[in-house]
Amino acid sequence: MAKTRLTRGKLLAAAAPLAAVPLVGKLAFEGDAAASGHDHSSHDPFRTLANHERAGIGHAAMIGDEAPAVGGPNDLDALLYPPPALPYQPGRLREYTLTATDVELEIAPGIFFPAWVYNGTAPGPVIRATEGDRLRVNFVNAGSHPHTIHFHGIHPTNMDGVFEVVEPGGRFRYEFEAKPAGLHLYHCHATPLKKHIHKGLYGAFIIDPKEPRPPAQELVMVMNGYDTDADGGNNFYTVNGRSFYYAKYPIRVKRSELVRIYLANLTEFDLINSLHLHADFFRYQPTGTGDYWEFTDTVMQCQGQRGVLEIAFSNTGTFMFHAHQSEFAELGWMGFFEVMD
Amino acid sequence: MEAGSAASEGSRLNWRIWAVVPVLLLALVVGVVVSSGSSLAELVGTNPPPADEFDIRRVEFSPGEIRITVRNPQPDDLTIANVNVDDAIVPYTVEGSTTLGRLRSSTLVVPFDWVDGEPIVVGVTSSTGIETVEEIPAAIETPQPSVEGFLGYALIGFLVGVLPVGLGMLWLPALRQASPVWLSAFMAFTAGLLTFLGLDALFEAFELQAGLPSSLGGSGLVLLGVALSFLGMTALSGRLTRGTAATGLTLAFLIALGIGLHNLGEGLAIGASFAIGEIQLGAFLIVGFMIHNVTEGLGIATPIAKSRVALLALAGLVLVAGAPTILGAWVGGYTSSDVLIALFFAIAAGAAFQVVVEVGRYVARNAPGGLRSGHAIVGFIAGVATMYVTGLLIA
Repeated sequence: MAKTRLTRGKLLAAAAPLAAVPLVGKLAFEGDAAASGHDHSSHDPFRTLANHERAGIGHAAMIGDEAPAVGGPNDLDALLYPPPALPYQPGRLREYTLTATDVELEIAPGIFFPAWVYNGTAPGPVIRATEGDRLRVNFVNAGSHPHTIHFHGIHPTNMDGVFEVVEPGGRFRYEFEAKPAGLHLYHCHATPLKKHIHKGLYGAFIIDPKEPRPPAQELVMVMNGYDTDADGGNNFYTVNGRSFYYAKYPIRVKRSELVRIYLANLTEFDLINSLHLHADFFRYQPTGTGDYWEFTDTVMQCQGQRGVLEIAFSNTGTFMFHAHQSEFAELGWMGFFEVMD
Repeated sequence: MEAGSAASEGSRLNWRIWAVVPVLLLALVVGVVVSSGSSLAELVGTNPPPADEFDIRRVEFSPGEIRITVRNPQPDDLTIANVNVDDAIVPYTVEGSTTLGRLRSSTLVVPFDWVDGEPIVVGVTSSTGIETVEEIPAAIETPQPSVEGFLGYALIGFLVGVLPVGLGMLWLPALRQASPVWLSAFMAFTAGLLTFLGLDALFEAFELQAGLPSSLGGSGLVLLGVALSFLGMTALSGRLTRGTAATGLTLAFLIALGIGLHNLGEGLAIGASFAIGEIQLGAFLIVGFMIHNVTEGLGIATPIAKSRVALLALAGLVLVAGAPTILGAWVGGYTSSDVLIALFFAIAAGAAFQVVVEVGRYVARNAPGGLRSGHAIVGFIAGVATMYVTGLLIA
């Protein structure tokens, strides 16, 4: 729809030098129509056409090729699909290596953000362990500033990534028992904190319970923002790092199959972020711990808050999801589920 | 004799060759500095990154569409990467290039259902993520060239420019009866009026210049306009009077020309402000301009109080002083050249100041008691005060 409109605009513009007189006539006509008080219910066939075209204006039209998102269809799969949960096994070691670097991330078409990242992406890779696993994270600081990794969870304070600041070129080994079960975070805790986090040094940290969760199609969504002009406010909002990415490439899931979403908020500057699902409800377990589940279609998370969503879509179709802060939605935090049989 | 002239011919040639040498050397040095890139700056530190801000020149509204014209004001290239309207990313197309060289412009076409009369904010983001924001106080449909609009601007220009000047000229029969003392007081009044107009235009020019990107808007732009018109008017009056002081119809013509240039700027300002929704062009404003401008006719009529002037010449004077308002309203209403408008105001200022000099000379020579007489001083102050007070009507 939007496409038709743009093409028409282009045609008009291209025709301007060739047919200035008819164009002037047309514009004058449109002006008259608008002067009569923006009455869209007019019986004028041209006005009806324009009204019909207007439906295509704005973010609702941004699906598929209309969505201004960077990259190809499977670019963010490593962030969206977590490594599989492993059944509990006493004394097992889980080992990860995270390397901090400075990179230019293309976060929206043609917009380059000078980011600091773990393993090349913002958010960083999903770290996953089962409760009781021995977790070992080898940290290499290949960036140009001092960094750390601070994990949420229960662990010795000398493994907290606060006091042991790793200088550029330095290394550090974090090792502790993974607990408690739930969805947690990890992020840099070097100062200035706000700068180190919003530059991109964060990620999701899943600890699976000893008693495994029911099998499901599992997804990870890390909500974030980018302050590209360093004025203390975000210019773009995303899930998993690229604005409008899941509007361009909707997430495909099966109807009636359980979908589990690990949702975390690592947006800086804005106090809260949220997820709203259209046309269906889900259940939500705050922090992925405890027995309390809320049945809703909208959840709100403060900076650093997270939780687990579960849903089995009861219908097929295209389900929009986005931050219910409309501003965030229209600045990139919007996507679709494509539910199929 | 022949040998001597040959020698002077040779030395003249030498002089020209030598005159080219510094230019060639400068070109050479420029080449070296440019090719060295930023290595010169590295000796003393690091260059800061470019600002990467656009200059948003014009935002036009038509039903279901916003057109944003942006210019690159910085030396480095600037790439358009994103467009926001009211803090929302919107689809857009670019008429022109996406990457803009220095001082190059493109127009962004955004299909958008804007709300009539409400404030709106458009933002254009460069590839480095820097957003340039333009706040529009009230979105209204941008007038497109149409016969009605064209005639409308002409009528407005006529009402605020031609008509008041013409009415002011009708003081002529009264002036013909006035004593020399009163006449010189009116001439001083004219000088005060023109000083006010000149200062007003100069202030306007500086204000517009300050709003231009620094690569276009040095204060030299204003000086250039002032010098151009002041000296141009000086040359013109010199030619018209063959070196003597201007009197009678010549002086009236110069005053009309000075006022006309000012009114051109006034018309531009009215047209441009109306087109971008900055002013409400109500009856009060138009009446204000009429009252403000009626004394301009008095100023033109005073020097010809004691001469016989054909009716056609009088009409000509009215047109010279008043008609540029119409031209200005057209140009201002349908185009957007902030540089041109700043330059026009500077030209108006220079012309007004030059005419003040002419009028001053006239008063010095012809008025009883010259420039220092009480009626000249009071007349001048009355001229400034009248313009100030009536000017409040259009503030």
